Amino acid sequence: MLGWFLQKRKMGKDEVPLITRRTTRSSSATAISTKNNVVESTTSTNICSPSPIDLLYGGEPIDLDVLLSNFPGRHPQIRELLQILGPLNAPMLPVFVYGGPSTGKTGILLQLFRHLNRPFVYSSCRTCYSPRILFESVLNQLSYHQKNSTNGYSSVKRCEKPSDFVNFLREALVGIVKSLKENRRKSKSSKKLERSIDGNMVYLIFDKLELVKDWDKSSTILPLLFNLDSMLNIPEVGLIFISSTPPDTFYSSMGYIEPIPLYFPTYNEDDLRQILVRNQANPKLYSSFLDVVLRPFCRITRRLDELSAVFSPLFIEYCKPLNDLAIVPNEDLKRKLFSNLQPHISLFLNETFRVLSQSSLGAERTKDGEPRGSKSKVGTCEDSDELDFHMSTSAKYLLISAFLASRNPATLDASFFDSRGGSADGRKRRRKPSEMAKGQKEAEEQELLSKGPGSFPLERLLAIFQCITSVAEDSLGEEVQEEDSLEVEGQNNPLMSDVLLQLSTLCNANFIVKGGTCPLEGSTRYRSVVSEDLALKVAKSVKFPLAKYVYRR
Amino acid sequence: MVNRNAAEKALNLIRSRLCNPNFIFRPLCDSPDSNYSKLKFIVSSSVTEACNNSVLLLGPRGTGKVAVLELVLEDLLLEYPDMITLSGGVVFQIRLNGLLHSDDNSALKEIARQLCVEHQLVFSKMASFDDNSEFMIAMLRECGLAHKTVVFVLDEFDLFTQGKQRLLYALLDAMQSVTSQAVFIGVSCRLDADQLLEKRVKSRFSHRKLLFLPPSEEEIYRLLDHVLSLPVDSNLPHDYAMEFNAKLHSMFSDERFRQIIDSFMNFSPTVRHLVKFLFRAVSDMDLKLSNLSFENFKSAISSLQRQPKMECLRDCSILELYILVCMKRLEVKEQNSYSFSAVMKEYKSIHDSFQTSDYYSQDVCLRAFEHILQRGLVCFADGRGRIQSTEFRPVKLLISFAELSQGLKAHHLCPAILQKLAA
Repeated sequence: MLGWFLQKRKMGKDEVPLITRRTTRSSSATAISTKNNVVESTTSTNICSPSPIDLLYGGEPIDLDVLLSNFPGRHPQIRELLQILGPLNAPMLPVFVYGGPSTGKTGILLQLFRHLNRPFVYSSCRTCYSPRILFESVLNQLSYHQKNSTNGYSSVKRCEKPSDFVNFLREALVGIVKSLKENRRKSKSSKKLERSIDGNMVYLIFDKLELVKDWDKSSTILPLLFNLDSMLNIPEVGLIFISSTPPDTFYSSMGYIEPIPLYFPTYNEDDLRQILVRNQANPKLYSSFLDVVLRPFCRITRRLDELSAVFSPLFIEYCKPLNDLAIVPNEDLKRKLFSNLQPHISLFLNETFRVLSQSSLGAERTKDGEPRGSKSKVGTCEDSDELDFHMSTSAKYLLISAFLASRNPATLDASFFDSRGGSADGRKRRRKPSEMAKGQKEAEEQELLSKGPGSFPLERLLAIFQCITSVAEDSLGEEVQEEDSLEVEGQNNPLMSDVLLQLSTLCNANFIVKGGTCPLEGSTRYRSVVSEDLALKVAKSVKFPLAKYVYRR
Repeated sequence: MVNRNAAEKALNLIRSRLCNPNFIFRPLCDSPDSNYSKLKFIVSSSVTEACNNSVLLLGPRGTGKVAVLELVLEDLLLEYPDMITLSGGVVFQIRLNGLLHSDDNSALKEIARQLCVEHQLVFSKMASFDDNSEFMIAMLRECGLAHKTVVFVLDEFDLFTQGKQRLLYALLDAMQSVTSQAVFIGVSCRLDADQLLEKRVKSRFSHRKLLFLPPSEEEIYRLLDHVLSLPVDSNLPHDYAMEFNAKLHSMFSDERFRQIIDSFMNFSPTVRHLVKFLFRAVSDMDLKLSNLSFENFKSAISSLQRQPKMECLRDCSILELYILVCMKRLEVKEQNSYSFSAVMKEYKSIHDSFQTSDYYSQDVCLRAFEHILQRGLVCFADGRGRIQSTEFRPVKLLISFAELSQGLKAHHLCPAILQKLAA
């Protein structure tokens, strides 16, 4: 969403792209696309000696009105931020900006600094994923240091300990504040054409603070950051924290003076409409499209990034019957388009994101900003009966056998896969529907729900794989004696290595999860995490009668 | 326009006052039985009588322990002009922070570094613990001979008591000798900080404690007046300052204003919280009106007293609310451990019995579930994780049932059926 961070700073002589710093998220939202062209003009300038100007936002400062119009629905927040940052040279207490993902926290803050034309240091705890990298990133920026090939991509100072960090930071900040004050004096006496800096405040921005909670040393780093203000005790330094979780999730036994909270609520429906309609080629048409889709989708999620990802293909679907995209739709046309779109809406409502088929390659969308959502088991279209991805036959069999191994109790393997070709009779005989058994059944179901799929050793998986592949061959040809399976195993030794390769592929694709080692057996245990639907689909594609083999309680 | 300029100047002045703790705590130092006087007596006795002292400053966070200490040191430097010096005045301080130097090695290293900086010596990074502690003792002796008082300030004192307390022992033991002239000041917000000391450390500690308490009401108003009123004889226009102060004082006597201050101080009683509140109110000042109004304080209190969980609930979509309600129903049923798959089962059963319009596929629900995980409304009940996938890890609600039902009521789109289900 925040694509305009790509280039931010006026860069020095060698253009090592600073992209890592500002690519918080790759842009997929069409809504804010015009902002991209605002910044693209920040190309390299003259060779300049390092100065605090490097800490400004690249590009010309923007007007407050432009800023306000760039962020519809965020006016109270922008105004409040402006108040807290205060007029020129006004010292400030630390601020804690929070609000759900994609509510414009980082974007507004950075654009605000562009508007104010004041120096700042931005470090995101997403890219600076450990204390050391965070410390060094802040120090590098403060000493105008850029990692490049001439310095071997090293930081300006090696800084691992918090105590060193505070010392270095104080040193650097005092130096910068001094040079800012000198600059002001100089610029007062001699008018320069060069861009000047407003004020002698320096701001430190720590973004994505919620990620620090997962760090190993979070119990020391968080209090350090929150107490940094009183530790440094330099009035010319302002601290700003950005987090997607509220302040109460940061409470610890340590305690600290809480920074001033500033809340960014999730956009409501009207705001979303305003944002989404912006920068559309045909706002009228898009607005009529939003009339139809916005409400149902808002019931599921109000996150802008997700909505815009869903709406872009849906809008293409909406426009399909139209020849002229510049048309202003009347009521009649709207109704027609709606009835055309309706089947697609329910379809899109029920999927998180779509993996495009071969025909429409190239425009693949993925869901941003959601680390766990990208698990591959979600990546199937639930509506169609076909698989959306290619898989070799042996991988399919492996997947099925892993599914079976996870679902069925190990003790029943023999009855399923015994020499008579897995008759289910024995199983049925054993089950006697009595009251007690029913209670037991419910308890077992609960257990399955809470425990999830069972784990299994590699040997069991291979045995089942061996059995079902032989069964599959059986079903194709005539009856083959079961004793052959041993021989087959002997012959297929080269195949075994292939199977292991497939297994690791499936593990990487997150169909099968490698669990911890069993303390008794000492071998790695696996666990299949595919849903039953997907397993059935896979089985169907190889014409394997899976349902016959699944143990039903 | 003149007014606006003056207002901006006044705003900057008040803001810089608020960001300067030394300024804020000055009016609380006058009385003879204040902590300021007691602490000053302790430190100055060490300066004049060349003895060692140790004291703990205890009190909740934000009651001005460090600020008062700094005021004391500042004033002492003024009071005792340097007679015999190596570099600066008669007093110099070594500051440590428990957050930064809690392990003994780095703490001693930091002491050595600060001693070196103070006396223009070359600091060796490679020095060992023993080297540094010998160096420190030697320096203490030198300072004692030069009648120079060394003040050790240990902020977050309770964190230094973790581990073997070798640093504390080394410091307090060095202060047993007659030659040195040092003050040991520990600052902590744990009131039982002295109980955390080991026996050998405890026996060398003087057991002097100064307790810092939140300000009384009278002190609060003295502080408000001190911080907010503008100086009449400065570069600010005289009339403007007079008018500003007059408005301010009339507001102080306003009953509604007193109520606001009261309610805020009931909520968070320390000076630093008050400062935060004042900062918020002052930054809200309308430059055109050019003075502080009652509305500023009113809006500040609402922007500081937040209810994060309620805000989170208001941010939730309908589907996310459904999942929360399902989890609540499971907890009411006293299922002590349940996972996302159990929640899904409950969700499905709700749909089956009520035919709600909001029934979505499992993937969509999983995504919604991950959203509420990110918001911190639910969390995993087991610490380990990683191996198991999200659906099967046990989860629990992080909000109370009352909060949930209140949040559902406040949510403007919440369907009636959900409120019924949650009841």
